[in-house]
Amino acid sequence: MAAAAPSVPRGVSGRGSNTARRGAAPAMESAARTLPGTARLSRGLPFGRLGISHSRLLPPLPRSQEIADPQRTAFLLRKQWTLYSVTPLYRFSDTHLKDYARLLSISIAAEKQKGLAVEVGFELDLDIKVDVSSIPDLKGSDQDHAAILVQLSSRSPASSKNSERKLIWLGCFCCVSGDDLSKNLPKDFTYLPLFLVNGAEKYTSIIGSWFQTTFDCCFHRLAISPFNLSWMAAMWTGCKVDKTASATELVFSVPRLPQPLDISYAIHPEDAKALWDTVQKTPGEITQEEVDVFMDCLYSHFHRHFKIHLSATKLVKVSTAIASAHCDGTIKFLQSKHLMGVMMLLTELAISQIE
Amino acid sequence: MDESVAEYIRRTILKIPREEIKTMLQKWGFLSEAQLQTINFHQIKDNISQEVVQLCEENCANIKQAAVLDVIYNHIYPNKRMWSVYQMRKTGEETEFFDLTDFKKKFKKFLRSALNNVTINFREYEDNAIWIRVAWGTPYTKPNQYKTSYVVYHSQTPYVFVSASMLRSNLPLLCQALIFASNYHDIREMELRSHCLNSLKDIVFKRYSQNFQTYCPRPLQERSVAPETDLRIIQQNRSEKERIQRLNQELFGDGPLPKLEFAQYKLETVFKSDPKMGVLDKKEPFRCLVKFSSPHLLESLRSLAPAGMADAPLSPLLTCIPQKARNYFKIRERKSIVPGSFVSP
Repeated sequence: MAAAAPSVPRGVSGRGSNTARRGAAPAMESAARTLPGTARLSRGLPFGRLGISHSRLLPPLPRSQEIADPQRTAFLLRKQWTLYSVTPLYRFSDTHLKDYARLLSISIAAEKQKGLAVEVGFELDLDIKVDVSSIPDLKGSDQDHAAILVQLSSRSPASSKNSERKLIWLGCFCCVSGDDLSKNLPKDFTYLPLFLVNGAEKYTSIIGSWFQTTFDCCFHRLAISPFNLSWMAAMWTGCKVDKTASATELVFSVPRLPQPLDISYAIHPEDAKALWDTVQKTPGEITQEEVDVFMDCLYSHFHRHFKIHLSATKLVKVSTAIASAHCDGTIKFLQSKHLMGVMMLLTELAISQIE
Repeated sequence: MDESVAEYIRRTILKIPREEIKTMLQKWGFLSEAQLQTINFHQIKDNISQEVVQLCEENCANIKQAAVLDVIYNHIYPNKRMWSVYQMRKTGEETEFFDLTDFKKKFKKFLRSALNNVTINFREYEDNAIWIRVAWGTPYTKPNQYKTSYVVYHSQTPYVFVSASMLRSNLPLLCQALIFASNYHDIREMELRSHCLNSLKDIVFKRYSQNFQTYCPRPLQERSVAPETDLRIIQQNRSEKERIQRLNQELFGDGPLPKLEFAQYKLETVFKSDPKMGVLDKKEPFRCLVKFSSPHLLESLRSLAPAGMADAPLSPLLTCIPQKARNYFKIRERKSIVPGSFVSP
């Protein structure tokens, strides 16, 4: 059980401190308001990602770390991304991105020839172009490797050479605040543990296989446990929301009944935040107990009305104004302001799955 | 024959499962038996529908005749549509004799006086159900045969089942036409919706096995004669299981339950907790929206307590669904001196 709990204490120091072991993540604005101006010393908590988590510190994002150009990461918003964890890539080089793109094109063409990717509606002669680029803004700290984006765009052969291409598949390797492990890596290895995919599965498998054989790495679907989903619910509910924010919604599934049952429990964002604000005792920090209390409050309010024990059901999806996450390992980013914070959380989940 | 009629017939045939096409055409009765014999029903549906359209051409089908086929299809497959339930009210207790011809005439007259571009079809069935199909147009356009409203009216009851699928603006017109034609004064929408038309009828006509809340004194527990000491533990479980079963039976009855797909609760009650926990203690409502969904919701709820997921007895908010004939609720705090109670409307 402990091994499955990747939410981990961090020895992170506060605003402005240069001894921060990880780049400060953009925090919940409420934490930013209440965090004292002076640097907080690292609590020296064990960093063991396999350990049972106790708390998570939420330092705010120093000015310099905010995304320099939000436009470059706007492509992440409002799409459904499937998550994978990726083991370190051997002999990956940023200078060879164009070569990789070329090799990937060849790979995709070869698969089409083999006829493996044929299905109804799949145009055999669709002209697919592969682009591999680096996104320097998409990282947490300086130690992180900049994100790598793979894009597949298509154009039907009937259209002219200059007609616009349609984006059909996106894959993004990234690492947001994965510091400690990237420090211990032997050279020749690039650490981009989180992989996000948007697009057809057939391309995912072709591209994934190519990366696996070329860089000797492994992809695994990243499932998100109910435990982590509750952390996300608590953390994201605590973020400051504007008037038009969407509700905090939790979806539970009870599959093993004669007739399966799904329960959607949506709380008005202001009320959910009001509850969370009374639960969170120490500003700038969230503890496991606080997450448990928050969830228990929601469960008992539900039980009071319906006499059903939500704790006996499976939490499968959490949705707030910040993002929505599903236990199958899919995520949707809804706000650019907290994008990096969510990426940091996902990187952490990916890292703990790898280990 | 109009091109649009041909296309409409073609598309309607394509909706029907291949094995059912012949029976449905027979029910329709527009094509003669001899004509039906000429159709090869073993080819692909595209070809079958082409053959049917050709025969309809020979018979010069018009849109109203084509619409009858649509009514038959929807009568056999009503669960493809979402149905809402309306209740009509009249002042005074007199039960008038229901005159079907009069009803149809008045209904058509009302709609046509408001909108001259409508297609209206009626079809009566053995269970006293009148099926009404309305295709809506505007003063400038012909009726859209693909966005039709269906009304199922059991004339012996004040209930009307409506599947709208149209511009909301036409809904009041439809309601007015219904009360005008049926000599009622008022119509209101009940908070009850489902795809399963028969289940809605079951709930509203109280055709499911009802639970009768009677006082059941707990029967004396007979002591088991077995000598093993651990039997005591087993007995404990058993009595709890029996208790749950008995309560379930009281609440849900024994027989099959009406089939609903969802229930929605808008909660505007206050959040209450142990003051020692030091959490939210506001007098304002803790606003939530809870939605239960399942292929067969009531069966699912019935199985929760035996599965250990819920307490028995289950909350009256859930068990009252069939009796109250609704699956949309708004729950507010009951304003009483006794804390911790809430209203179920």
